[in-house]
Amino acid sequence: MSAVLEARGLTRRIGERILFQGLGLTLRAGTSCCVQGASGTGKTQLLRLLAGLDPADEGTITLHGRPPEAWGMPTWRARVAYVPQGAPIVSATPAAWRARLETLRTHPPDGPDPCEVAARLSLPQAAWEQPWASLSGGERQRLHLALALSTAPEVLLLDEPTAALDPALVGAVEALLAGRTALWVTHDPAQIERLGADVISMGSR
Amino acid sequence: MSGPIPLSALDVALASSLLLLHGLLSAWLGLGLTRRVGVAALRSVLQLTLLGYVLAPVLAWEQPLLVFLLGGIMIMIGAREALGRVSRSHRGLFSSALGALALGGITTTILATTVIVRVQPWWSPQYLVPLLGMILGNALTGVGLGLERSLDQLDTGRVEVELLLARGATWWEASRPVVADAIRTGLIPILNSMSVVGLVSIPGMMTGQILGGVDPVLAARYQIVILFLIAGAIAVSTATAVLISTSSLFDAAHRLRIHRLQRKRR
Repeated sequence: MSAVLEARGLTRRIGERILFQGLGLTLRAGTSCCVQGASGTGKTQLLRLLAGLDPADEGTITLHGRPPEAWGMPTWRARVAYVPQGAPIVSATPAAWRARLETLRTHPPDGPDPCEVAARLSLPQAAWEQPWASLSGGERQRLHLALALSTAPEVLLLDEPTAALDPALVGAVEALLAGRTALWVTHDPAQIERLGADVISMGSR
Repeated sequence: MSGPIPLSALDVALASSLLLLHGLLSAWLGLGLTRRVGVAALRSVLQLTLLGYVLAPVLAWEQPLLVFLLGGIMIMIGAREALGRVSRSHRGLFSSALGALALGGITTTILATTVIVRVQPWWSPQYLVPLLGMILGNALTGVGLGLERSLDQLDTGRVEVELLLARGATWWEASRPVVADAIRTGLIPILNSMSVVGLVSIPGMMTGQILGGVDPVLAARYQIVILFLIAGAIAVSTATAVLISTSSLFDAAHRLRIHRLQRKRR
């Protein structure tokens, strides 16, 4: 299997503190990799860095051998989709948010319908018309995942994507994402086992 | 019609007694404004008196360099005052406000003196200085309100902006609603005052011209021109300041660099 996303020698410092140094990883097509570690060891930072939302202090990242500059950062981010933790509340409704995403230049016209994806995750259609703030954490988490998939990304960077879900929904998310190239941040050893993924342990150099 | 009745220093002192009302009100209700009322009153007296003494030679000597120097100083002070109302700051914010006020203020003032009022020479201080002053005084409010709004929205709404970036938005696509909202905020005061002008309020310039003995119809025409110039200057200055400031909080890779933003200590 060919490498889709690769990172070499990644270093991230916050002030004087080194979060991680010389980190490397290879994500092959259709495989998952899990990132685990105690809070504050840089798991979210690693995902943000791979998503191009923060710059690395050292190191390189490539998608199919090409760095973000070669793709153009907006295109990179549409292909390497980051789903943040905590299911953020944004303005208006998920339907309005979806309409806004569809106006973006990088948004593919033929991407998967997020309503169908959300329905596979047992989310009622009515949820799209409710204000984000009135939805539960679990509902928002599934909506954000469905919206991230609507850009037809090649790689998913998932920051605790099932943290607010009950076991049945966790199973539905894992089934939905089976066979996709993904980096999961998770604290759940059973989930790592179910995904059959390689593991990167942060803070244990 | 005659010119204005001369005012003595005693007349000014008499008017200042009205500020005692502010002091009494503040003391009675515990508004904590007594000191601010005093400082504001003192600043008004000193700044306006100084302006009178500065304007006298500028008007009398009719030297273009002197006029431009005064204009430049007014723009610098305007930028400083505009940012005094903004609770956050970042590197280059003063230059954004300065550039924006210079662009909006200078273009509309020159448009007024060359095309609309057609003054000879176009830099004639009698027209240029008061026009620029009125335009800047209003434009700085728009710039201050617009920047306060955009920086607040980028700071408190950073999660939303970053989520748009993460879905493949460019910095412009992600920040466009913030920019639009900030420009709208900056324009609201002038739109409000344009709606009530003449019905409720008689603007300062028109009042001044009527007191100076000018035909009220001509004074009204001047006031309309001024209002439109002010509206144009606010739009140009606010949009420029908000755009420069917002773009400087993103890097070339379309990343929101929110750490560049600092809250001012009050």
